[in-house]
Amino acid sequence: MRRSIVFCLVTTLAVAGCGVGEKPAATPASGGKVELSFLVFETPNLNAAFWDAAIARASAKVPGVTIKKLVTPNVDRTGYAKQLDASGHLPDILQSVNPAGFAEAGKLAAFTDAELTNFIAPKAGAVDGKIYQLPYNTQVIPVVYYNKDAFAKAGITETPKTYKDLLDVSAKLKAKNITPFVVGGGGADTWADMYPLTGTVATDVYAKTPDFLTQRKDGKVKFADADFTKAAQKVADLAKQGYIDPAGLSRSYADTEQAFRDGKGAMYPMGSWFATSADNNKPGFEIGAFPWPSDDGTPVTPTFTGGGTSVSASAPNVDLAKKWALAFDEDKENNDAFVKLDGSIPAIKGYTPPTDMGPVYQATVAIYQQGMKDNSIVNAFSQETGDGSLPPGLADKSALGVQDLITGKKSAGDFASYLDDQWAKATQ
Amino acid sequence: MTEIQHGTRGEVDPAAPRQSPSHGGPRQRSAATRRRASARIGPKLGRFGLFALPGLVAYVVFVLIPIGMTGYYSFTNRNPFNPPTKWVGLRNYGDLVGDQEFRQALVNTVIIAVIVTVFANVGGLLIAMLLDRPTKLYVALRGVFFTPVVLSAVVISVIWQAVLTDDGLLNSLLRGLGVDHPPGWLSDPDLALYSIAWIITWQMLGFCVVVYLAGLQGVPRELQEAASIDGAGRLARFRNVTWPMLAPALTINTVMLLITGFKAYDQIQVITNGGPGTGTTSTMAFQVVQTAFNGNHIGYSSAMAAVMLVLVATVSVIVLRLLQRREVTQ
Repeated sequence: MRRSIVFCLVTTLAVAGCGVGEKPAATPASGGKVELSFLVFETPNLNAAFWDAAIARASAKVPGVTIKKLVTPNVDRTGYAKQLDASGHLPDILQSVNPAGFAEAGKLAAFTDAELTNFIAPKAGAVDGKIYQLPYNTQVIPVVYYNKDAFAKAGITETPKTYKDLLDVSAKLKAKNITPFVVGGGGADTWADMYPLTGTVATDVYAKTPDFLTQRKDGKVKFADADFTKAAQKVADLAKQGYIDPAGLSRSYADTEQAFRDGKGAMYPMGSWFATSADNNKPGFEIGAFPWPSDDGTPVTPTFTGGGTSVSASAPNVDLAKKWALAFDEDKENNDAFVKLDGSIPAIKGYTPPTDMGPVYQATVAIYQQGMKDNSIVNAFSQETGDGSLPPGLADKSALGVQDLITGKKSAGDFASYLDDQWAKATQ
Repeated sequence: MTEIQHGTRGEVDPAAPRQSPSHGGPRQRSAATRRRASARIGPKLGRFGLFALPGLVAYVVFVLIPIGMTGYYSFTNRNPFNPPTKWVGLRNYGDLVGDQEFRQALVNTVIIAVIVTVFANVGGLLIAMLLDRPTKLYVALRGVFFTPVVLSAVVISVIWQAVLTDDGLLNSLLRGLGVDHPPGWLSDPDLALYSIAWIITWQMLGFCVVVYLAGLQGVPRELQEAASIDGAGRLARFRNVTWPMLAPALTINTVMLLITGFKAYDQIQVITNGGPGTGTTSTMAFQVVQTAFNGNHIGYSSAMAAVMLVLVATVSVIVLRLLQRREVTQ
């Protein structure tokens, strides 16, 4: 009896032990194929059917691969990837996961220059000169989408060109009992409150100091410096004047989008991915778009280029995984789908979007193209990846801090100091 | 009935063969008895042990080993994105003392635990007394009150989020009743924590109801009748008969509610993400996860988890002992 107990104990512990923290070895799927896990995230725009079809198209181009799709529990794919990594199960291929931290720790495979020849900005988001996430698309963050009917009702005939114009427009809207800005950030989607600040940081900080975060990393500047504090003050003032309704902070991302569609506010500062959502699911009013204005009207166009797939350095077959990742991001049909469903502006050489794109997408692309023409492209604060980005976890802290700005719990100066403290904490 | 009762009085199995006095004194008899007992219990222990083994192994692998690992990591600077891991002694614990975010999370956790414990206990007792009737309607109502307990905390959170957001059910109702600016249940930093505490209280209410109902049904009718005959009114009967008899139910509910309040995480993750703002609804459990998986500071978050474990265990044991003493004295 004692022997049988010992046998059972040893066997059970051995079986259990084998499963803890072990990454399964390369799994040859049926027909000698290698199975690779692929982490994706679902949104109202990028739903399960979209991912399944996109995976099937890439897999058709790369024989010998079977993809096992993993879906994040919410849009925070970076946070979820960290959890998986902590348990020794970092997926083999990851979609739109911020490579910061993963890359420096050697957990991701770098793409070679030869592999990046088809990309317009092959060095976007580089970490020590190496690319760990394919720079497959550009997003303008934020674009101010607005309700043309609400503007007309408030007697507004022109979109704001300067920040003062923006305040005037807001005052006119408020006078007509129309909430000027729809801003969300409820539930797990705290990030959805960031866009007014991303706009003001672009116009007041990055326009003067494009490498602000790199300088912050080197200790040459601080968030508490005058420019950043002024950018934060603008957001605090928008809320103080009643142009941003703090009650919106309880809305999730999907609810925030719906609130704009329902006419609960006239302006919706959001990433360019909203464009096709607006075209595909038209509300009962016309939507226009304009860039976040600077004080003197000088154009500033905050953008992010990157967001593609990354490959785990410990994937069962790294070369095959990279080949599949490239096939996924370069596939014309996949990019068409990203354009149509998520308002993507692909950064692939020779790519042209489908001709039947709607007016909001066209207006959004026009803002980006104007930015390229004006040479006014800057980074989008909190969206950066690579060397000039926030330390891991700080983008989430910033989003929570913005809620304090909006509710009046923190002054602009307190918010800036808070970010400096959090930076120190994150990098210690 | 043939089992030997091990106790201070040294009772022996009456069916066991008796020894001749000439074969030894009491000490020898006792040793022989113990040997026989071991011989009899051994095979049974083996069989039961075999059944218990999978559970035991699961407990060791999924509870004890992770606790041990957490304890070890808490003395290191472990950060999977910044190797190598180094031993830092008590530094993480020292840093926790001055960590304002952790202090805020601790305060929030205590507030939630106290609110949940008090209100779920009081509400559960009141509802249980209302439902302590044998008719079918009341039996069905017991099921209704218990439903939230069997639902996942995430499902509960999604439901309440739909109710409490600015455009949610409650505010729509209030606007319909003419309230122009209804409260921001989840967006007002002064209200959000209490909204979370309410949601957890609501979910745990059914658990308390069932435990108190079981307690109420164990109160002998004769005692109630005797008290009535002695002239005790409703309140006096509750205070002197029912309430003392509910002491074990109070113990179970209080300890379970305290533990539930102290480990609050799911509702915060789904509904507020620790906001609105910095630390408004952040609890210790939430802070542990954020520090570990957003900030990558596994070592530091392990120290937080260790403090949380010690705190919850200490409070639970103290409350358990106090309430059990009350059970005995009554």
